[in-house]
Amino acid sequence: MSPALLSGLLAWGTLVGLDLVSVPQMMIARPLVAGPIAGAMLGDGWTGLTLGVLFELFQYEVLPVGAARYPEYGPATVAAVSAAHAAAGTLGLGLGALVGLITGMAGGLSLHAVRRLNARAVRRATAALEAGDARVLVRLHTAAILRDAARAAVVTALGLGLALLARTYLAGTISLRGVLLLDVAAVGSALAVGTAGTLRLVGRGPDLRWFAAGVVGGAAVAWLR
Amino acid sequence: MSAAPRARPAFGRSLLRLFTVQGSWNYERMQGVGMGVAEEPLLRDLRVAGNGAAYRAAVARGAHFFNAHPYLCGLAVGAAARAEHEGVPPDQVERLRTALCGPLGSLGDRLVWAGWLPFTSGLALIAVALGLGLPAILGFLVVFNAGHVALRWWALRAGWTHGVRVAVALRQPLLQRATAVLGPAMAFVVGAALPLVAQYLGSGFLGWSRVALAGVAAFGFALLWWLRARLTGVRLGLVLLAVATLAGWLWP
Repeated sequence: MSPALLSGLLAWGTLVGLDLVSVPQMMIARPLVAGPIAGAMLGDGWTGLTLGVLFELFQYEVLPVGAARYPEYGPATVAAVSAAHAAAGTLGLGLGALVGLITGMAGGLSLHAVRRLNARAVRRATAALEAGDARVLVRLHTAAILRDAARAAVVTALGLGLALLARTYLAGTISLRGVLLLDVAAVGSALAVGTAGTLRLVGRGPDLRWFAAGVVGGAAVAWLR
Repeated sequence: MSAAPRARPAFGRSLLRLFTVQGSWNYERMQGVGMGVAEEPLLRDLRVAGNGAAYRAAVARGAHFFNAHPYLCGLAVGAAARAEHEGVPPDQVERLRTALCGPLGSLGDRLVWAGWLPFTSGLALIAVALGLGLPAILGFLVVFNAGHVALRWWALRAGWTHGVRVAVALRQPLLQRATAVLGPAMAFVVGAALPLVAQYLGSGFLGWSRVALAGVAAFGFALLWWLRARLTGVRLGLVLLAVATLAGWLWP
């Protein structure tokens, strides 16, 4: 992979990581968006789209309310696409999912760390904030956004590094059957997480009937195709 | 009491800053600092009117603890700024902000996180599964953000219009109807997306691997359902991938 391409993926992963919480929350952080763009950058649209769909199912489990802690799947999807790109076609799905899930977990931890650093910065600036110093307020806010951008860049770099390691040391050592088992585990767990996450969102109220009707309708369309 | 507010030019600046409202999210004041930054342009009139002390006090109050849905924060920003211009007592402005946290959080969660977002994402998943590819992703971004930006704009304007009587805005019939409709619509669309996505992702599996895929998905779902307090999706995925790697090495 060329340095220019690697820099492009790093920049995209950083933007995606920044979008999740800080700026502007326009949902480029969704795996369904992050994956296909990363795939297009690598000239591998199919892998980007497929891993985007796979991680979007994982995303259905996340409800970002209050101070909830959750994995970060945006930069994780970029790293996953980079890992899967080398192993052509379906063979790369499991490898990509492995790299992506580890990166997602690291991303979640890094969010918590940045929030603690932000709290420390706020404590240090309390006197100026209570005095209504608008310059300090804006500076504090800008510094926090830059901190989040650095965090997103580090998480993406970690993911891309993991992808490189996986491509170099794992891809060649696993048998064809092993790769297929990895793919089964990746897709199977994504479907399980997506279904469980949606059911939690829907709840046991009247919306459950609409969900069931949707499943029947979707299954009918899938069967007819 | 301060001079009459000249809100129009400040509105754009405040709205732009609202897109960064969570940029300094922290465990101390949560969205407080971001709220203060977004409210500040709307308070500048106080300084222009020669009331520097009122301006600084309002800026300080604006940056106090706050937590709600980010897309609806504008409602509190607009309402608090209007209240400051109208010379509402400081403790009443603080109470207004505190009182808005819960309703704006719960309304936003139902309307966006559990409604509009999964609804539009589910439509995009269906479109991708049916072979629409990248245009489906572009469509998702355009449609989702049309609602997103409209909601942020409406929230800021409604907050500014109603001031301390901002609760009126939360009883808007359109808002109530949208919340009522989006729940079932989201459930139906995501429900329809799941089998189609299963078909899309499972198309590369044949023979025993297809049976194994169905088994892993059912087993994983059962585990997540029964152990919902302890098991997260990312952990389930990593455990299953570790087991698969081990099985692949033992069964070459």
